[in-house]
Amino acid sequence: MKVIINNIEYEGLPGETLMELAKRNKVNIPNLCHKEGFEGQGRCRLCMVEAREGNKTKIVSACVYPIHDGLEVNTDSEKIRAMRKNIILLLLLKTPNNEYIKKLAEEYDVKAPERYMDFSINENCILCGLCVKACEKMGTSAISLVNRGTGKKVSTPFDDPSKDCIGCGACAQVCPTNAITMTEANGVRTIWNKEFKMVQCSICNKHYTTEEALDFIESRLGNEEEKVCDTCRKKIISEKFKESYKNIFGQP
Amino acid sequence: MTIDTIDINTIIHNYRPEKRFTLAILQDIQNKFNFIPKEAIFIISDYLKVPASDIYSMATFYKALSLKPKGRHIIKVCNGTACHIRGSNTLINELTDLLNIKPGETTADGLFSVEIVNCLGACALAPVMVVDDKYFGAMTKDKVIEVINEYKEAVENGK
Repeated sequence: MKVIINNIEYEGLPGETLMELAKRNKVNIPNLCHKEGFEGQGRCRLCMVEAREGNKTKIVSACVYPIHDGLEVNTDSEKIRAMRKNIILLLLLKTPNNEYIKKLAEEYDVKAPERYMDFSINENCILCGLCVKACEKMGTSAISLVNRGTGKKVSTPFDDPSKDCIGCGACAQVCPTNAITMTEANGVRTIWNKEFKMVQCSICNKHYTTEEALDFIESRLGNEEEKVCDTCRKKIISEKFKESYKNIFGQP
Repeated sequence: MTIDTIDINTIIHNYRPEKRFTLAILQDIQNKFNFIPKEAIFIISDYLKVPASDIYSMATFYKALSLKPKGRHIIKVCNGTACHIRGSNTLINELTDLLNIKPGETTADGLFSVEIVNCLGACALAPVMVVDDKYFGAMTKDKVIEVINEYKEAVENGK
């Protein structure tokens, strides 16, 4: 499948979306709500591109647009640049104090008219829904998008500490604007109004996950997990690799 | 108000435990209690094997579902274009004074809730007010007082 992005030809795989193809080939399409491993959501609208179909072009969201043979795409046309600026402007007005959005606005040379800027708005969430998706993928679904219209937000049911939340922090990790507050102090992690006791790594003694998250993983896998943090786990695996290479190739 | 979990369970067992019945169950519970009790969200979640967050999301999305207790009688005042022009604001002000609540609230005795709706599709009767399922057309300030007194008397007489 041949797809032309910005006059360069790429080989597409069946079933791929435009965003996946672009990411695979290191073509930059700006986006906030797309993450590898998650299906596209088409929420932030920042990944709009101009796709040619016959004599006409149309505006599509790259993260949800399935590619087809002979597709011709322009990711940086005059029209797209104007639309992208508009979207960033709206995001900036919604989250005027967010560092990431401010940087994005600077990068694309977007300045909001001063009379519309209200710096007292202390909002960081752009409602992209990535956190909800991450929670769903974890298999916990503790948070969701609630209310509608201007009152829409991400929260647990009734804003209470949720029994489904395991404090894994996946939501905070995927958030593109750092809108989810997760604090860690004295071996206690606080997120979504709930406090979690943390588990220490058996090697380096670092607090690396919560008891609930570990229990959750164990119940899914059906066996006991070693209490090892990510960094130490990488070290152990690389040691194992070293050993097996030695066995294959002899001493390096 | 105490919520009978047996009632909730009877309602949900009218449906098979499938996700697609979520909204139907929520509507039935809304009809029964005039609102969605907090317990109901978790009972439905257990029964349908759907995350509580999903049900909460749905319950907060639809205007027909309410998470706050509603009064015994729900008064809807139409504020659509036709009703607005024919003076629905007078009705709203009169109700606010009479019941001492703002639109969207419920009286302390739990008798009345007042809501403003955008069009009831009965523009010929403008301005329209609906109490529960009963329509009152061509309303005036005086008629509002009459209707409210009627309902108050009915309650006092144990109906």
